[in-house]
Amino acid sequence: MSDTAQLASDAGSRDPAVGLRAVRALRLLVERLEALQVENARTAGWSWQEIALLLGVSRQAVHKKYASGRGLLRREK
Amino acid sequence: MFERFTEDARQIVTHAEEQARRLRHRQVGTEHLLLGLLSRPETLSARLLMARDVDHERVLAKIVQILGDATGGDIDAEALETIGIDLSAVREKIEEVFGVGALDRGPHRNRRGALLSGRRAPFSPDAKKTLELALREALALKSRDIRDGHILLGLIREGESLGARILVGAGVDLPALRAEVRNAL
Repeated sequence: MSDTAQLASDAGSRDPAVGLRAVRALRLLVERLEALQVENARTAGWSWQEIALLLGVSRQAVHKKYASGRGLLRREK
Repeated sequence: MFERFTEDARQIVTHAEEQARRLRHRQVGTEHLLLGLLSRPETLSARLLMARDVDHERVLAKIVQILGDATGGDIDAEALETIGIDLSAVREKIEEVFGVGALDRGPHRNRRGALLSGRRAPFSPDAKKTLELALREALALKSRDIRDGHILLGLIREGESLGARILVGAGVDLPALRAEVRNAL
């Protein structure tokens, strides 16, 4: 077990610094995973609507985050 | 921009991208372009560089010495371990599907504003400049194609970049090399 993991279990994971660090690392991981999976789905021909449905967000949210600016001028499926 | 690149020139750029990914570097830099130039030993630029004792192995060693290979990435693996997530196990699964280094680079926006994953490493400003200069060198030399030699000329002109500095560090006289490439093109 690493020092940090040892520290966390010693402290019963109540140390906010340990917990917050974990959240930050997890967010970074999620951002990267999401970008990989969204890109993969688009490459496979998925629509924004289909991607949004599986991510549990609105079509607008996923489109705004990932689509190119020019995409707004095009008709998006 | 790559339409006018010869097959060799394209392979050089592809090799540069592969090397950046393999080393888990965040961007494709001029140092990776230099590796690309050395990946095709039969080309003019590789022959001129190897005549100066600059080879792929040596440049790769130098790059790793300067930049390291970012194995492990920048995600805090220890912090994830405290909540029971084994980052190396996650990385292994993801790399099986998306290739080496896919988790080591954050998403980035391309010129058109689309958010792209870190699957491909983007070109650094220096590397982009080098490729633009390659195009200009080709135009100046009235060449219809952009060849490996033009990329090398671009790299020499973008003289402050890591790729050029590695050449200087290896004792290469850049102006002399530039003259020789231009003559041979």
